[in-house]
Amino acid sequence: MTLSIEAAVRGVADALREKVAPTLTDSFATEVTRLSTNLLTIMANAADDAVALRVEENARVRTLLGDGAAVVGDTVLAARLAQAAASTDPGFRISELDRETDRLRRLLVRLQVALELQDDVACRTLNQRIWSLLRDIETSRAPRL
Amino acid sequence: MTDMEERIAAYIAHRLPNAHGVAVDQLSRIPGGSSQETFKFRAVWDEGSGPADRWLILRRAPPAGLVVAERDVEFSVYDAIGDSDVPVPKVYFMEMDPQWLDRPFFVMDMAPGKPGHFWTSDDPFEGQAQAIGERFWRHLGALAAIDHRAVGLEDLRNGSGEPSLWAAELGHWESILDENESMIDPVVRGAIRWLRANPPPPAAKQAIVHGDYRVGNFLFTPDGRISAVLDWEMCHIGDPLEDIAWALNPMWSVERWFPAEEGIALWEQASGLSVDPAALDWWRLFAAVKACAIWTTAEASFNSGRSRDMNVATTAVRGMSFHRKEILDHMAARGAIG
Repeated sequence: MTLSIEAAVRGVADALREKVAPTLTDSFATEVTRLSTNLLTIMANAADDAVALRVEENARVRTLLGDGAAVVGDTVLAARLAQAAASTDPGFRISELDRETDRLRRLLVRLQVALELQDDVACRTLNQRIWSLLRDIETSRAPRL
Repeated sequence: MTDMEERIAAYIAHRLPNAHGVAVDQLSRIPGGSSQETFKFRAVWDEGSGPADRWLILRRAPPAGLVVAERDVEFSVYDAIGDSDVPVPKVYFMEMDPQWLDRPFFVMDMAPGKPGHFWTSDDPFEGQAQAIGERFWRHLGALAAIDHRAVGLEDLRNGSGEPSLWAAELGHWESILDENESMIDPVVRGAIRWLRANPPPPAAKQAIVHGDYRVGNFLFTPDGRISAVLDWEMCHIGDPLEDIAWALNPMWSVERWFPAEEGIALWEQASGLSVDPAALDWWRLFAAVKACAIWTTAEASFNSGRSRDMNVATTAVRGMSFHRKEILDHMAARGAIG
């Protein structure tokens, strides 16, 4: 099969908008169709770069975890951070990447808690870099309609 | 009558044992109201004093929705504040037994008017923004002025006297996140830590908090009146600033059509309370966190297949991103991003 997910989902959205919606008379069904079209469009726009976006995000989080390992005083946490920084994505399925993203994000939250407790200049600087990355992630993951 | 119309008619006949000729028709589902399924219908009956012919609303618990709510909260609040200065529909029957319509539901009057939707129109109030803005804030102030114990609402969440209302609410929404998050969100978790480390002053009053007081959750009439404030399923006892912050959230803020300063002055007049700007700022960040928790439950219910409500899915996807960005802006203003 060479039909892309993006093309197929966008095609279904177009069919709902152009062929189905104009024939409806029930207001509830019309609204469901409008919302379905919107959701399909958002998902179509997120299909092509889904893997690239997750791989890049995980790599950037690992870099920060590695930098955190050198800053936090808690040696057990530092070892876990260093280990995560050296890790790689387990595969290229979205589900595999999402599980890895969750694992790395949980460590990122633990790192932020440690930085906020330690609260020296190096910690504050690193925490600002983490917040800056979180803003970048939000920008890249924002739904495109 | 359709099958559901017949079931509703049977229920009304059960609740009105002296009525005869009970019939229901023109049943249709109303879009929106993601946390409950909302239907309107016409019912006729005769209890001996002449025929009754009424348009009614039925609100039924969905299989899963935006929030986990106690199903009788909305009915209890409508019933308790029906005689207050806050306009709400008259309620008739609350039913928890699934034998009638599969899930809990209640029946109330259909109030006149329509909702002004913040996403689909630049002028949702059709030229009546000034009158509606004034009433919007006065009604909210009137709600804050009510003594919840005097109207029998001690059973609402926090109603028995929480020592710290902000901590109780923050803990409530954090536990909802813990329960529903499929992937941890460092933005929301960071904001929660900030809120906990920088608490607001104690509430000026333990007040009835609507919990979702905003544009889209009330009906207005062409003469500029608010005929009914709706969607009370997140109602609880809390700091009245919580509702003000929610009403001013940029996703649906009434401020787009009516100045916030003027609205807050009207609220202060109606409530007899004053607004501490620093405390309000805390509640504005809280509002964005709470919104993210709500979108998280919505995504979880759609992801699991428990909900197939398209409003739940699309609002969750767009709302989550909107409010996460808002949190990032708040945290940047607090120096977090440098």
